[in-house]
Amino acid sequence: MSVERIRTITGHVVLMLGVAVSLFPFYWMVVMASNTTPDIFAYPPKLVIGSHLFENMGKVLDNVDFFGSMLLTLVAALSVTVLVLFFDSLAAFAFAKYEFPGRNVLFGLLLATFMIPAQLSLVPQFVTLAQFGWIGSLKALIIPGAANAFGIFWMRQYAKGAIPDELISAAKVDGAGFFRQYLTVGLPVLRPGLAFLGIFTFINVWNDYLWPLIVMTDPNRLTLQVALDQLNGIYGTDYSMVMAGALMSVIPLIGVFLIGARSFIADLAAGAMKF
Amino acid sequence: MAVNRIRQALPQYAAISPFFILFAIFGAFPVLFSIWISFHSWDGIGPMQWVGLEQYHYLVTDPKFWQTIGNTMIIWVLSTVPMLLLALVIANALHNATRFRTFYRIAYFVPNVTSVVAVTLVFGSIFSNNFGLLNAFLQSIGLGKVEWLTQPWGIKIAIATIVTWRWVGYNAIIFLAGLQAISADVYEAAKVDGASSRQTFWRITVPMLRPVILFTAVTSTIGGLQIFTESRVLFGDTSNIGGPGDAGMTIVSYLYQSAFIKNQFGYGAAIGWALFVLIVLFSIINWRLIGGNDDERVTSRARRRAERRIKQQKETADVR
Amino acid sequence: MPLSRRTFLAAGTGAAVAGLTGCGSRSSLGSASELTMWTWVGSVNDDLIGQAEKGIPGYDGLKLSMTRIGSNYKTKVLTALAGKSLVPDIVAINDDVATYFPNADQFHDLSELGAKERENDFLAWKWKLGVTPQGKMMAYPMDTGPTALFYRSDLFEKAGVDIDPAAVAQQAPDWDSYIALGKKIQQAIPGAAITDNVNSVFAYRMAQQPQRYMTADGRYLGDQDHVREAFDLAIRVVREGLSANAQDGSTDADAVVTNGRLVAFNAAVWWAQLGPKNAAPKTKGNWRVAAAPGGAGNRGGSFLAITKYCKNPEAAFAFISWLESAQNQAEAFLDPVLFPSTPASYTDPRLTAPDEFFGGQRIVDVFAESAKKYPGAYFSPYDSIIGDQLSAQLVIVETGGKSPDQAWNDAQEQIERELTRAGAI
Repeated sequence: MSVERIRTITGHVVLMLGVAVSLFPFYWMVVMASNTTPDIFAYPPKLVIGSHLFENMGKVLDNVDFFGSMLLTLVAALSVTVLVLFFDSLAAFAFAKYEFPGRNVLFGLLLATFMIPAQLSLVPQFVTLAQFGWIGSLKALIIPGAANAFGIFWMRQYAKGAIPDELISAAKVDGAGFFRQYLTVGLPVLRPGLAFLGIFTFINVWNDYLWPLIVMTDPNRLTLQVALDQLNGIYGTDYSMVMAGALMSVIPLIGVFLIGARSFIADLAAGAMKF
Repeated sequence: MAVNRIRQALPQYAAISPFFILFAIFGAFPVLFSIWISFHSWDGIGPMQWVGLEQYHYLVTDPKFWQTIGNTMIIWVLSTVPMLLLALVIANALHNATRFRTFYRIAYFVPNVTSVVAVTLVFGSIFSNNFGLLNAFLQSIGLGKVEWLTQPWGIKIAIATIVTWRWVGYNAIIFLAGLQAISADVYEAAKVDGASSRQTFWRITVPMLRPVILFTAVTSTIGGLQIFTESRVLFGDTSNIGGPGDAGMTIVSYLYQSAFIKNQFGYGAAIGWALFVLIVLFSIINWRLIGGNDDERVTSRARRRAERRIKQQKETADVR
Repeated sequence: MPLSRRTFLAAGTGAAVAGLTGCGSRSSLGSASELTMWTWVGSVNDDLIGQAEKGIPGYDGLKLSMTRIGSNYKTKVLTALAGKSLVPDIVAINDDVATYFPNADQFHDLSELGAKERENDFLAWKWKLGVTPQGKMMAYPMDTGPTALFYRSDLFEKAGVDIDPAAVAQQAPDWDSYIALGKKIQQAIPGAAITDNVNSVFAYRMAQQPQRYMTADGRYLGDQDHVREAFDLAIRVVREGLSANAQDGSTDADAVVTNGRLVAFNAAVWWAQLGPKNAAPKTKGNWRVAAAPGGAGNRGGSFLAITKYCKNPEAAFAFISWLESAQNQAEAFLDPVLFPSTPASYTDPRLTAPDEFFGGQRIVDVFAESAKKYPGAYFSPYDSIIGDQLSAQLVIVETGGKSPDQAWNDAQEQIERELTRAGAI
């Protein structure tokens, strides 16, 4: 065997070990969700998938309004995603392809907002939304996140390279206004970029915990993450049920991710390289 | 003229306005407002009571606050160092692998898209003192149990493990993109010069990865300083969200506890500002350490000095 | 990604419109035909709530909608009040009712809704706890928490102690004799404990005192002798080896009841349910209660308040005064052992029936005696701040062996800092 070949095999062994560590918690989640709590607490613990999965899932549905929370989370995540895609791509298109007074200053300002940690405004933002009467309602989850600096920055980088200036000039000659140019020239070209930003935004809203924990004050209207935490807080001793809940909350999102995973990962890496 | 140009650009201003309007209402205004709040004693419900700098005075003399900074730093180091090293190893192996690449990438990336709440519940069961998988394993190989979730170090290791597990794959993917951007010619040239593979790694790969390493270092610093969910979910149903002895209480946990459990909105706002200062500070430190501008700065300074000297010599020569 | 321009735009506009116009902001939680109420698990009788969920007596078309909050109850109530919208009509409040007094304007004055007429039905000291220093009736009494000595008759017998409640009360009239009794039992039953942890002794000793941490006019008392005495007593019980070192909220807390380590416990009435009945159903028949060493006391017992966001305050008051009538409080004594704040209930057959869990003893006699004798004490809005610091230090003394003087000084220092910041001193 050549040195080259040994190297390749060692590489794969290392990578496979890493994959095992990376995926084991998911396997363990399924093991716990499909066994009874006494089985998990036994020594030595059961390490194989059991037969109580549906029983445990049923208990979750009895104890929390799982589908209600899921629907609420879905509405919030979809609304934010659609708004972000629209507002961010529109702004990015303008920043990338047009000269206008103050453009660079405004873009610099936008970049500067990156430095502000969300937690700095946790308290005042809560107070502001309380004045609007939005606490406890979906608006508190959707509106403040409807456009963001990261998305605009990322889309601008993408748009700069992807949209040929000639196409815009041609549209201008045809008498198309700015918004028309955005629709006919910008959007079609930006579509792959939108797919990335969409998945990215959706995942972030779906998984967010701190903000919904604070603003969703009605115990009957919680997002999935907060409901899951609640399930653990009240029935924490029933491990297998809590794990069934965790599993149910994770599956839809991993599904969404796997659909676009290939290009998503590539786009994410490419985005990081542009910083 | 200028007015005309502005009028012409109205559609563009309209296009970028949603972000700036939302930011003004939900970003800029709250930030300014939080300065105002931090000068008050306020429970969020009743009237605000002006206390001047009292909250900040309390903050700098508050042992709990300093403890949470210490906790956050320790958790950050315990997670970031192994995370970036492992990511570098994995990225290197991925770079050399030609088969199963897509599978590997997805498998490494899945932890990152999984919700922290769910992940923490799973790891909570792995680290559990009495029924945990890890302790069962330690017992089976003849070692004793470790009280992971009650001992100060156990708590920090558990939290750091969760962070590391979620972010190794993410950083590996980014390092990989960095590696792929290094042109093959450079390596070719190094080979011709007879460089060993270790020399190649430290002399070529790492320096050329600097911008990427900077990116991951900055993002993991900002992320690390904002850790909250892990400790909240691990210890959330007890009245103390930082765990026994507050060993898992992070800065953000303390902010949350102060503002939303103890209803001290003024103090919560002050902690928010402390967090902001820390993030700016650490970003600058990162930039300085890994930024790599030093060489350029040194060279440009040297160049300027050389130019000045040449100029001087010329002038003296002219005078003569 | 199958994302056509047309659907994208339509969805974008739709979401934006829905988000921005949405339903108008409501300040009260629930629909117009509902009275919403938040409480924690185990604070009400489920049958009575079930009746009100079908319809509020006397108010046709109005129903109760109740939410039992599993964890972090107070945080959720305060956050909802700070959020100013979707606030429930009625909230339950624990014995820290005074911490809500600075925000009394968030609640209706119950005397304006007819509470005055009911005052004589209730224990005077309990009634007073719900009234602010300015005289506003902010919270309506639910149950009380009179204290007594719970003990295991089977284990006392084994140790050669007379198990008759009157005899036990006579042998341990104060804490000194109680500790001596504990030592005696320990000789027959190694490891026997008379408290689950250090803080129970501290809390139940404080629960017997006529004053707590502050005076009504705002003077700090937390460094006075009566507090130090309770502090030192708690540590003394630990040093005598009579504490089971099972900290609150740990799994051990139940275990010491189940495994019989806890042979006696000076506790409030509601502990009967939370302790032995839940954790050690097999000990049925072996428990008794006697008058507590150190005198009558009260710990816990809750209140109901009507928020200013309430849709129909008259109906809400009609509901809470119905729920807390002497009749219905007697029902809540059966399940989940909530002790009535209405003396008329004490002679109700549902209370005076012998309790088989306590070997057929009429436990109401012991607790009613305690409830009537209890002197009452002033609870200040800052009691939680003060009490939390003292408790935290006591835990360190018990689990970490910190010196009591150091712990006391550290607690006082921290309390002074916190009270200064809160503007209390």
